[in-house]
Amino acid sequence: MDLRLSKEEELIQKAARDFADKMIVPIAEQIDQENHIAEEIFEALGDLEMFGIPFPEAYGGGEAGYLSYILAIEELAKACAGIAVVISVNSVGLSVINAFGTEEQKKKYMPECMTGKKIFSFAFTEPGTGSDPKQLSCTVTKAGDSYILNGSKRFITNAGFQGPMVVIAKDSETDKASAFVIDKFCEGYSLSEQWNKIGAHGGPLYDVYFDNVKIPEGNVLGKSGEGLWVLKVAMIYGKIGLSGLFLGTAKAAYEEALAYAKQKTHRGQPIGTKFQHIQISIADMAMKYNACRWSAYNLGFTADTVKDPNQLLREAALTKVFVSETAVEICKIAMGVHGSYGLMKDYKIARLWRDVIIGPQVEGTSPLLKVMAAGIIMGE
Amino acid sequence: MNIVVAMKQIPDLQQVRIRNRQPVLDGVPMTFGSIDKNALETALQLKEAVGGNVIVISAGTEELEDTVKEALAAGADEAYLVLDDELEHIESSVSAHLLAELIKQIENIGIILFGEGSGDNYSGQVGPRIAEILGLPEVGYVCDIELEDSRVKVTRSLEDCEEVVRVSLPAVLTVMADINEPRIPSVTQILKAGKKPQQILEVEDIGFDLKGDKKIVTLSSLAPENKRKQITVKNGEELVDALLTEGVIRR
Repeated sequence: MDLRLSKEEELIQKAARDFADKMIVPIAEQIDQENHIAEEIFEALGDLEMFGIPFPEAYGGGEAGYLSYILAIEELAKACAGIAVVISVNSVGLSVINAFGTEEQKKKYMPECMTGKKIFSFAFTEPGTGSDPKQLSCTVTKAGDSYILNGSKRFITNAGFQGPMVVIAKDSETDKASAFVIDKFCEGYSLSEQWNKIGAHGGPLYDVYFDNVKIPEGNVLGKSGEGLWVLKVAMIYGKIGLSGLFLGTAKAAYEEALAYAKQKTHRGQPIGTKFQHIQISIADMAMKYNACRWSAYNLGFTADTVKDPNQLLREAALTKVFVSETAVEICKIAMGVHGSYGLMKDYKIARLWRDVIIGPQVEGTSPLLKVMAAGIIMGE
Repeated sequence: MNIVVAMKQIPDLQQVRIRNRQPVLDGVPMTFGSIDKNALETALQLKEAVGGNVIVISAGTEELEDTVKEALAAGADEAYLVLDDELEHIESSVSAHLLAELIKQIENIGIILFGEGSGDNYSGQVGPRIAEILGLPEVGYVCDIELEDSRVKVTRSLEDCEEVVRVSLPAVLTVMADINEPRIPSVTQILKAGKKPQQILEVEDIGFDLKGDKKIVTLSSLAPENKRKQITVKNGEELVDALLTEGVIRR
């Protein structure tokens, strides 16, 4: 069993790290304070093809696989969780277009969403019904050769950027869910104020309102009435991105605590060499980070090699739960290493805590994902 | 015109850990020295300005075949490599002779670029030595290059001034770290790097006799230990007496 990365994987990881160090780290605090990422950052990431790492070259992607994708997301998230959120959600849209889209849809939507100039959203969750696919209240009604979409969606990442959006809505005649791809800011599309979430700033979150949005028949994604299949694939690839994201935040917290333990002294001696409880904290963080890393990298390898969607969903759900929850543990230990300073907003670890704490509650809460994975395991 | 860039394979210094005051190199990926990357970026910018072909040359252990993908991903067109596991820790004069033989195999060379010093030993000797072996002009501490037909106008960054010189081609130029900011390769460039042409040679192929005793053995690279005497003084008078006794000050 060879766990070494290929040279190409190493270089993609390094390219993301170099970009993050030069272009993101210097403005990470500013992004956090302003909850905004400049367009130039997205375009520069687009030039490096960071938006299209696993997708086919024929549609503008890098075709470098999901392990490379996780390696890059980890490095970017280590510098700024918000940027990784934007890329991860963009990749969800790309993944479902790649899996279900017609040739025409792929050519129209995929290349532009790998440039950083257009960014995908995926709209499923709704106010009141949350993420229950059986209670969808967003509806489409057939009108000639089009559909008319009405309703609202909640907590939609990237909804404020130009680009396409995949919407899951219920057909008012058949009562079945279908997936559609629409252009954001089309007629009848509007947004709430941006949600003021506690962490991962720069990855903007909105409610979206559809008021008689006209969708051409050709914009059905996959087969009409089979929107839940699209949702299933979206869930898989969303969790791959977030596993890389929270792995990166965990690493940032670990490295921050390690640097602090070397630099902070007590009576002339660094606390990392003087106090055993600090040493135990460092060992705990190293141990937990390593476990997260191999889990996440294994998920990338699995996504590149396993074709069974149930197996991949199980692995994606379990890995996302494990990595996001363990990342919270790592960050909590890292705050402890900082002592009282860890509670101060002036210290980076406080930002990392706000970033990491959202992990177990987004893209499916941990209990929900555990129940889902258990269902798959029991049925095997 | 071919623009040749000499690059040296070294461990990625960002990933080297220190244990018992010694660097731990096991499992550390190989890369090129950071100023070597400035030299490559210089070559790529010259190519973008006037055309040409960028050729990376390097000599090293078998891993070099993989490491060179980093330079090819950044934009080099091809690579000439000498691979031999005996090429680890060779000293500067051996590197210079080896690379000079390699350069002789390349036609139509305009400029041969080096970083001012390698990322590990930073001897800064190989560029000037090659210029001497090949009988070419050499300019060091280069911070700007302008091509002018069959010669280049070169700005040198000296300690308290800049010097501008013109030099006929072909020439050897060694560049400073602040001459440019090396570009980051895109995903596609990285994936296609391995498909670019690589001329792989062995030491015997270029008629070079590698003598086994021409290696640098690092005996120690530790900073001198600075033991504090921890003399306690109660007042200024005692402090002055202590400083006099230790020879720090004199009456």
